[in-house]
Amino acid sequence: MTGASVVEKLERINGRYQVFSEIVEKEVEVAEGGFQFSAKDNICTIEMQTRAGSRILDGYRPPFDATAVRKLKEVGGILVAKDNMDEFGFGTFSTNCAFGLPKNPYDIERCCGGSSGGSAAAACLLEGHLSLGESTGGSIACPAAFCGVYGLTPTYGRVSRYGLVDYANSLDKIGLISRSAKQVAEQLPTISGRDSMDPTSCSQPELVVDGAEPGRIAIPQKALEGLDPAIEESFLRTVDQMTSLGMEVTEVDMSSLRFSLPAYYILATSESSTNLARYSGMLFGTVNHDFNEHFNDFFSKTRSRDLGNEAKRRILLGTFSRMVGFRDRYYMKALQVRSMVTEEYRRVFTEHDIVMTPTMPFVAPRFSDIESMSPLDMYKADFLTVPPNLCGLPHVSMPSDYIDGMPIGVQLVAPHWEERCLLESMILWEGHFQPRWPEVMS
Amino acid sequence: MRWMDLEVVKRVARIARLELTDQELEEFSDDLEEILDYLSVLDEAPSCECAGFNPIPVEDILRDDEPSLDMDSADLRELMDTYQDWVRGPRLA
Repeated sequence: MTGASVVEKLERINGRYQVFSEIVEKEVEVAEGGFQFSAKDNICTIEMQTRAGSRILDGYRPPFDATAVRKLKEVGGILVAKDNMDEFGFGTFSTNCAFGLPKNPYDIERCCGGSSGGSAAAACLLEGHLSLGESTGGSIACPAAFCGVYGLTPTYGRVSRYGLVDYANSLDKIGLISRSAKQVAEQLPTISGRDSMDPTSCSQPELVVDGAEPGRIAIPQKALEGLDPAIEESFLRTVDQMTSLGMEVTEVDMSSLRFSLPAYYILATSESSTNLARYSGMLFGTVNHDFNEHFNDFFSKTRSRDLGNEAKRRILLGTFSRMVGFRDRYYMKALQVRSMVTEEYRRVFTEHDIVMTPTMPFVAPRFSDIESMSPLDMYKADFLTVPPNLCGLPHVSMPSDYIDGMPIGVQLVAPHWEERCLLESMILWEGHFQPRWPEVMS
Repeated sequence: MRWMDLEVVKRVARIARLELTDQELEEFSDDLEEILDYLSVLDEAPSCECAGFNPIPVEDILRDDEPSLDMDSADLRELMDTYQDWVRGPRLA
């Protein structure tokens, strides 16, 4: 395929689905054996802006590639676009985006999920396309489920975060999204590995991609509470299918999971409320030239003007959680809960290879329904994807079924550094599952 | 007891360097009150001495300093607000 046709096709698709915040200007050509990929807009790229879905970073063009981007280019990947996302990753539905609202490929009246919504939708719309996503609390698994694709979030520290715009340092993870489980399995080793530019990547053991025999699946007893009935029925069918594939499925008690969501929102907002202080109006993106003011006023005006509502809400919550008098009750307690939940997973993994739940409690909602949801309603929708993210555990969302034409997913969680359990399971499932790709205007 | 009344939100916003409109203050006050009420479930979680700042053990690893120039200083001066060879910024005092 010639470069012109690639760019034209991306532009046509973007006109309808708004999945990209920016598309390459010059012609590109994907060589034999190569592949095209896009990156969530919080992952730095030399040739295109990196705005993390925020007006405050408008115009920011990094002078370097993120490590994950550089590594994909080194094996023949051609970067073709940046993907629309919730501002700094703050969202469950990709509806807090400054540069376009991505539409679900199966129904443009519905959302793609978030916050890597553009990345998941691009992977769904384009055969052979690979998307680099990023997950803090479920931002790969959720949109992968809503868009019917495979979304892998590796162990925290497996993929270098160098060049990733921080949301919450102790939670952020770069991962992969594709129509093809095989493509994800092939490219995970490419982006993994130690990188001296990110010390958290330097403690990892070597990635082993084969030799796993994941046969023992645990399902948390309370995992089915709060699900849409159609999701519950479908999940039970998926359990039967897993059993017919030779998996042994048992229920387990994981009562500490109920504390994951509040602990996550405290840690994530605490970390993000400090991280966002670097956007002062001088160094990155939008520059405020009104230098007659005192720095404090200059800084406040820039943030107040260019940050969206959800970013402000999370800064306020994170600031409050760290204030004297509240720090022990919220921030320190959330750290303790993270350790407790991690220990609970560790206990379950002594007798099981994988923990399985539905990925999301409902199908991708309509934009009109999202408008009537409160911020807390949206946070609560993450209750299945947050636990493995809080603990830095590798997990994958696989397409598992369709309800009224909309895809849903099942989430598999493996022990730290045991991505091979997920890769083996994905490949096995891909050989069994019949996907229904949407009709795409091209 | 209401935690996030308007005065508390104003105080938190001042610390966070956010200027909020009256409408934003009202909206965030209600939202944050509802969220904090939900977060209080953490009070039921048992305490432990095992809190770490990262989900995996992380070693301190230092790399060698390798001086490099990511961007030419002339380009930088062109992109930033400068006065002679100085980068201009807002007042600090």
